[in-house]
Amino acid sequence: MEEIIILEGLSKIFTEMSLALLPLLGIFIVFQLFFLKLPRETVVKILTGMALSLIGLSLFLQGVKTGFFPTGMVIGEHMGKLSALWIIIPIGFILGFVATIAEPAVRILSYEVSKVSSGYIKENVMMYTLSLGVAVAVSVAMVRVIFGFPLIYVLLPGYILALILIRFSSAKFIAIAFDSGGVATGPMAVTFVMTLVIGVASSLEGRDPLLDGFGMIALVALAPILAVLVLGMLYGDKNRGEE
Amino acid sequence: MNHIKEAAWEIFQAVLPIVVLVIILILIFVPAPMPVIAQFMIGSLMVMFGLGTFLLGVKVGLLPLGESIGAELPQWGSMVWILVFVSILGLAVTVAEPDVRVLAAAVDKVSDGDISKDLLITAVAVGVGMSLVVAVARIVVNIPLSYILIGGYSAVFVLSYFVPPHFIPISFDSGGVTTGPMTAPFILALGVGFASVLGGKNSLENSFGYVALASIGPVLAVMLLGVIFG
Repeated sequence: MEEIIILEGLSKIFTEMSLALLPLLGIFIVFQLFFLKLPRETVVKILTGMALSLIGLSLFLQGVKTGFFPTGMVIGEHMGKLSALWIIIPIGFILGFVATIAEPAVRILSYEVSKVSSGYIKENVMMYTLSLGVAVAVSVAMVRVIFGFPLIYVLLPGYILALILIRFSSAKFIAIAFDSGGVATGPMAVTFVMTLVIGVASSLEGRDPLLDGFGMIALVALAPILAVLVLGMLYGDKNRGEE
Repeated sequence: MNHIKEAAWEIFQAVLPIVVLVIILILIFVPAPMPVIAQFMIGSLMVMFGLGTFLLGVKVGLLPLGESIGAELPQWGSMVWILVFVSILGLAVTVAEPDVRVLAAAVDKVSDGDISKDLLITAVAVGVGMSLVVAVARIVVNIPLSYILIGGYSAVFVLSYFVPPHFIPISFDSGGVTTGPMTAPFILALGVGFASVLGGKNSLENSFGYVALASIGPVLAVMLLGVIFG
């Protein structure tokens, strides 16, 4: 990372993203012509939205490619050379916590859960539970990089627990829980933490970055599912007690 | 104008804490920190700006599109055509999903092009398409979401036994990235549109579960890719 890259490669990304948005544009055109027949105003709005998405996507990916990827790799590689390697575990914890609590989607989910439980599960409780869950998930990802055990060893028990918890939750909570798997895997946290883990894995002897560097997103996606189901179960218990 | 201000503030709030943390990490761990910090700051600015513009575009254009298509489709009457179209829609949305792109770029880089970007994106997109078909069919046939989740995840773990080890983390990560800032709201909008027409007493419940299913399909699809190519 000697020379600072700003716009190099942006035109390639722009072309790539134009192609990526083409199918949606095609679908819109076909639908507009044959079925929707939306008024002109709406059409202009939708097309403007698509153009904005295209510009935004290209810039975002350029920033990830030039800023996040190399930085995450460099930090990760230096961390991997430390003798006190365990330090990446608390760092992962902090990164996971901060990234989640800052994520707007998490706030929306917390509000939703508080509404569904008619206020019994407070927004803040939900938010801290989620953030702690993700923090633990990222720490586990770090532990995995250090020791290199298979991802399945964590995921399998995690999902079995989730499927067992389904028995104790209402249909509404199940739907919210499994839909919320994605809230914590926001583009900011994922891009940076992912490359950091890959960086550590690639500088550690005996670690295969392909095998040990990935898997963090899967762990982070599991955390909110368990968090919502557990809170939902607590809420269900309270309901049962009152009936 | 208020819309834009609000969205900008939201992104700033989400990005700033991470940027500060990362700069601290650079200062602690990287020997010659200045150029790294400069490059990171420039990248972060592009990310913030890009993400903001993108989200605005999704709100202004793509969500209304999702909702109108979601309300139009059920009126077609022919279930087969509806399902065919829903799967195409899933494909189209996923190839434009930023999170999927980011993961695919990282996998491409780490595997030295062995698992190419386009291959992974295609597999994930096919997975999302299939998931949406199941999600819609489930509502029409009226099967509880939990049955499908249990079946889906059982299939995932059984299949994981046959997949080459280095494909497993990537497969599971692929399930996590399909619920990014593009797919999730679009699919939800589609689901709401569907539910409002299909209606029934479970319309609220039925509008959920799309996103959940959209993260199982890609895991299966990428695992199958691993079985074929590994």
